[in-house]
Amino acid sequence: MITVDSVRACMEGAIPATVATCAADGTPNVSYVSQVHYVDGGHVALSFQFFNKTRENVLANPRAAAWVSDPTSAAQYRLALEYLRTETEGPLFERMKAKLAGIASHSGMSGVFRLRGADVYRVLGIERVAGQLLPAPPPRRNLLAALRASSERLNRCADLGRLLDELLACLDEEFGIGHSMLLVPDGAGTRLYTVASRGYAASGVGSEIPLGCGVIGVAARERTPIRISHMTSDYAYGQAMRERAAAEGLSDMLETMIPLPGLADSRSQLAVPVAVEGRLLGVLYVESTEEMRFSYDDEDALVALATQTGMVARLLQETAESQDEAPAAARAARPGGAPVPVRHYAADGSVFIGDDYLIKGVAGAIFCKLLRDYVSEQRTDFTNRELRLDPSIRLPDVSDNLEARLILLSRRLAERCEFLRIEKTGRGRFRLVVARPIRLVELPR
Amino acid sequence: MTQPPLIDEELAAFLRGPLGINVASRAAGKVPVLVRCSGCRVSTDRRSVKLYLACSRAGPVIDAVRATRVAAAVFSLPSSHRTVQLKGIDARIGAAEEGDYEAVEHHIEAFARELAPLGYNADMARAMLWLERADLATLSFTPSAAFMQTPGPGAGAPLRAPA
Repeated sequence: MITVDSVRACMEGAIPATVATCAADGTPNVSYVSQVHYVDGGHVALSFQFFNKTRENVLANPRAAAWVSDPTSAAQYRLALEYLRTETEGPLFERMKAKLAGIASHSGMSGVFRLRGADVYRVLGIERVAGQLLPAPPPRRNLLAALRASSERLNRCADLGRLLDELLACLDEEFGIGHSMLLVPDGAGTRLYTVASRGYAASGVGSEIPLGCGVIGVAARERTPIRISHMTSDYAYGQAMRERAAAEGLSDMLETMIPLPGLADSRSQLAVPVAVEGRLLGVLYVESTEEMRFSYDDEDALVALATQTGMVARLLQETAESQDEAPAAARAARPGGAPVPVRHYAADGSVFIGDDYLIKGVAGAIFCKLLRDYVSEQRTDFTNRELRLDPSIRLPDVSDNLEARLILLSRRLAERCEFLRIEKTGRGRFRLVVARPIRLVELPR
Repeated sequence: MTQPPLIDEELAAFLRGPLGINVASRAAGKVPVLVRCSGCRVSTDRRSVKLYLACSRAGPVIDAVRATRVAAAVFSLPSSHRTVQLKGIDARIGAAEEGDYEAVEHHIEAFARELAPLGYNADMARAMLWLERADLATLSFTPSAAFMQTPGPGAGAPLRAPA
């Protein structure tokens, strides 16, 4: 018995598939279908784009047959199918919609192909059809070996910042995926911000995208991997971001002040949610200038890695919280020189060092609290726990990933400011290091 | 008075091109079956089409056509996406005649050349369509209905208003 997962390579859309149906009166119909999509071991979904005979027939007589071809070996398979239902929203629909956008763009059909629904079929049987086979090229690498090595490396990470960097290093070194980033949701869950990236000229740490925007935003909203194998403007970030900024007026311009890292000529994109116990911790995103770089197997490997990353992150967070200790009452000597103004706008939490934008939101509020304590008490040592309890920071809820915000803040400082930095001093503890006098200017709402 | 053939000169010329061709029929229990074809030929009077099949791949279609005589074939030119479906109710399976195998060989090479600029390896087209001389069978029918199936909102429309 041939299983659906063993013929997934036929379902990448590289070679058009055909589907045959029979009308209620028995008249056969055969047509090309843009996409046969792997759903699980027992199901596939066909893209429903136009009201046509195939659609009319399966509603009257659910039996169908599909012909799919392996784009590497030329192996051909006949699938016996039974129509079950049509999905017009949700994870499967969004996965197919994104993939179809890539296929449409690749075949010159942008604007013509539009997904109306994902027609889900039960696979009754798969038959390998006689024919010549082409010699298979050696695999790029063994994904299971890469996954195992990465898994061991992630298990050795002792703090969240290290874990995120190690994840992206593993993708590069074990999987040969050189362009990657990790984004985490803000407290309200309406945006995601970049906390780590690898392979780009500028890190883009702190850059934001709205939920639902591009493959990353859709993966976050639907909690499902989104994969595109060809260049398509439908999921490009630049335009969507500009349109949104324009629609919302200048108030939202801050979120575009840090450009999202990304390849201008990205041809393959994959975004995988990192979730634990149903809660979204982040989105792992990889891309390549090569077409069809990421396969179903790559997606499986990255989903497994993302799952492990989520679990390790969760464990680290629990450990950090339980080991919070009161900081030593260290007082820093004040540095000399002319004070640098640091402005904090309470309305959106945005912080400017001199005239340079640093950060906003909760990370901005955290930074302001640290500076306030530093200026008034010369305090430099802090704990995660006290930040969590501080009413001035207004963390959205107790489960909020404070650690991710501290990583964001410390990385932005490392990139943008020579005289302020954050160093970890232990689990759940850190120190603000100040090398020039600061004049904190707080601007109320 | 006899009707003019459903296939006009222009469509006949299209059908002689380097097309991807698939044919379906109906097996018992209204179960559809299909197979990829290795070429086709339009009769000189344009009243029938003959599709080339590999017996080793087309078993279920051959059985279904023998039982029900119905067939639906889809023809598509990869470079333009122009797609047409022809249907018939008098389909029959036949043995290869003189010149048929050469027509298959010609079709496979033409199809491989058509796909090359689209980024497909010529060996891929050859591997999917190739068949042994002894494996060749034909499926012929008189088109009784024709539909435009080029992707787009007009897909599925009858190619010609019924006379």
